[in-house]
Amino acid sequence: MTAPAPATTAAARLTASELTLAYEDRTVVHELDLAIPDGEVTVIVGPNACGKSTTLRALGRLLKPKGGSVLLDGEALAKLPTRRVAQQIGLLPQTPVAPEAITVGDLVARGRQPHQRWWQQWSDADETAVTEAMARTDVAELAERSVDELSGGQRQRVWIAMALAQETELLLLDEPTTYLDISHQVEVLDLVRQLNHDRGRTVVVVLHDLNQAARYADHLVAMKAGRLVARGTPAEVVTEELVREVFGLDCVVIPDPVTGSPLVVPGTPWQPSAPGKSAPPAGPSAPADSSAPTGPSAPADASAPADKKPPLDERPTS
Amino acid sequence: MKTSDDAPIDVSKRCAHGAGQPSRVRPPGHVVLRFRRATFLLHSRSAVVTAALAATLAAASLAYLCVGETFVHPAEALKVVFGRPSPDELVVGTLREPRMTVGLLVGAAFGTAGALIQTVARNPLASPDIIGISQGAAAVTVGAMTFGVTSYTLLPYLSVAGGILAALLVYVFAWRGGLHATRFVLIGIGFAIALRSVTTLFMTKGDYLVAQQAQIWMTGSLNGRGWPEADPLALTLLVLLPFVAWAARAQRTAAMDDDTATALGVRLGRVRFGLILLGVVLASVATGAAGPVDFVALLAPQIARRLTRTAQIPLLSSALLGALIVVLADLLARKLFAPTELPVGVLTAAVGAPYLIWLIIRSRTVRNGGTA
Repeated sequence: MTAPAPATTAAARLTASELTLAYEDRTVVHELDLAIPDGEVTVIVGPNACGKSTTLRALGRLLKPKGGSVLLDGEALAKLPTRRVAQQIGLLPQTPVAPEAITVGDLVARGRQPHQRWWQQWSDADETAVTEAMARTDVAELAERSVDELSGGQRQRVWIAMALAQETELLLLDEPTTYLDISHQVEVLDLVRQLNHDRGRTVVVVLHDLNQAARYADHLVAMKAGRLVARGTPAEVVTEELVREVFGLDCVVIPDPVTGSPLVVPGTPWQPSAPGKSAPPAGPSAPADSSAPTGPSAPADASAPADKKPPLDERPTS
Repeated sequence: MKTSDDAPIDVSKRCAHGAGQPSRVRPPGHVVLRFRRATFLLHSRSAVVTAALAATLAAASLAYLCVGETFVHPAEALKVVFGRPSPDELVVGTLREPRMTVGLLVGAAFGTAGALIQTVARNPLASPDIIGISQGAAAVTVGAMTFGVTSYTLLPYLSVAGGILAALLVYVFAWRGGLHATRFVLIGIGFAIALRSVTTLFMTKGDYLVAQQAQIWMTGSLNGRGWPEADPLALTLLVLLPFVAWAARAQRTAAMDDDTATALGVRLGRVRFGLILLGVVLASVATGAAGPVDFVALLAPQIARRLTRTAQIPLLSSALLGALIVVLADLLARKLFAPTELPVGVLTAAVGAPYLIWLIIRSRTVRNGGTA
């Protein structure tokens, strides 16, 4: 415990080393090594049940490692007082539960919990942080409303406001866009980017949507079957080969017309076989005019089901 | 015509909002009290409700002292309470006041216990008389009675031990790497049923007189209760008071989900254990003094919460309401079928339930909300 912080190559306050995570005796994450670069937006992607949310929970000390450890400034997270961790790491779970009938203002104010004592229930710093968090997420007008009567998008913004009011340098968000319609998804992710930019906050987000991940990440981490498969900038990570390897999906990757980040376009949807044709087109076929930039030649067995799991013993190269 | 082809989502509005000087935000409905460097958040409506409840309770207590077989003038009753000589010393000071004191303390203890247990269980139905605590106390007490223990100084302690033991069992069985609220309630209900049959077994085994005595005890009665019960009860509650003050603060995060609370730096496992333990001790001590007075622990917190409209169940208002329900119920129990005195437990539900139902019906018309 008294050992000095291990030398890390890039500045990373939060790291995982040989992290093994399990629920009961089912191991979900295997000896994962990961460094969360400071001041960047890290997005973790991967197919369902790849352990990405589990990893995020461990990074936020909601789950105790079965093996290895999560380190904050070189100290094992599990050994730090949880309150002290809460002053450094904010975390928004996938489905947070608010106390019944709580008002928006009251809920956001509870983000100040780690900075308060029973004799210091509302300092000026608390008020400033809550005011700012609510302004930033645009929920100030909702302050008096009850959280249960908000729409999904509003509610998500309120939860993010609560996490912001905590004023932590690191912010972990577990699928913050699930249950939101597309405009709210964009709104939430823009907010994340903005926070990262304006306040230099380090953000880790678990996302389902690969294209959103590619758009918003500085640092993209791809996981499969509890192991890290690739990491780097979206342009480095999101390739047709990787999508096939990680998600078992054939696709075309083109530059996003707005941002230039990689955009994954899945192969042709299933179609009923027309009487004239003998088989449906397999694999990704280029859009009508067949002028797609980099259409891969469909492999012979490309009609394999998308959920076919690649072998478990495939180790990442790192 | 030229239209701006900016990004479809206008982020600039939000930026401007953050950059400007927004009005200060405080938790709605709260005022901030300052003493030097210390600051306290006070929910205004709770403060008003608490004051009103305290006043109502004072009035009800006075009525309790005045009304009975013989009517005593309120001025005389007050004289007795404040230790002045009065001709009504015997009726008020010796008969009614000690019994009322036990009622007040028992009611307050049950109200607080219910509030704590409902908070942890996140379930308005979870109260000591539903999840096995009262049944544990009853099983041990009635068991002791059938085995010939008649000492009224010993029985309350056995009852406290029984309540705590039952709660401990429920806790141990409900534990699975953490305390799951629904599991806790369900296992509690299971234990309550099992323990009730144990009690019934003891009662059928014991002789007729014991069974009758046990039956009355199990309904919860203030009959014949006085200073010998009130003193240890008051002392226990006094000792527990600092813990209740802690609980009132800890409750704020106990109503959240585990992950969110942990993210806020709260060791929810410990907090839950502390809150349950406190609730169990309070309920057991109250049961020891008066038997399991039904429904007080269930009703008082729910009524209190609807009155204060706070996000968590208010402890102080629950305590006051518990005391109010018991005092009113016992007043009715003494008066309604006089000279026969009913056990107070028969009437607590009659006093509290209609009011709670009315509150629920009214709130539904105001706000059809709530999470599932």
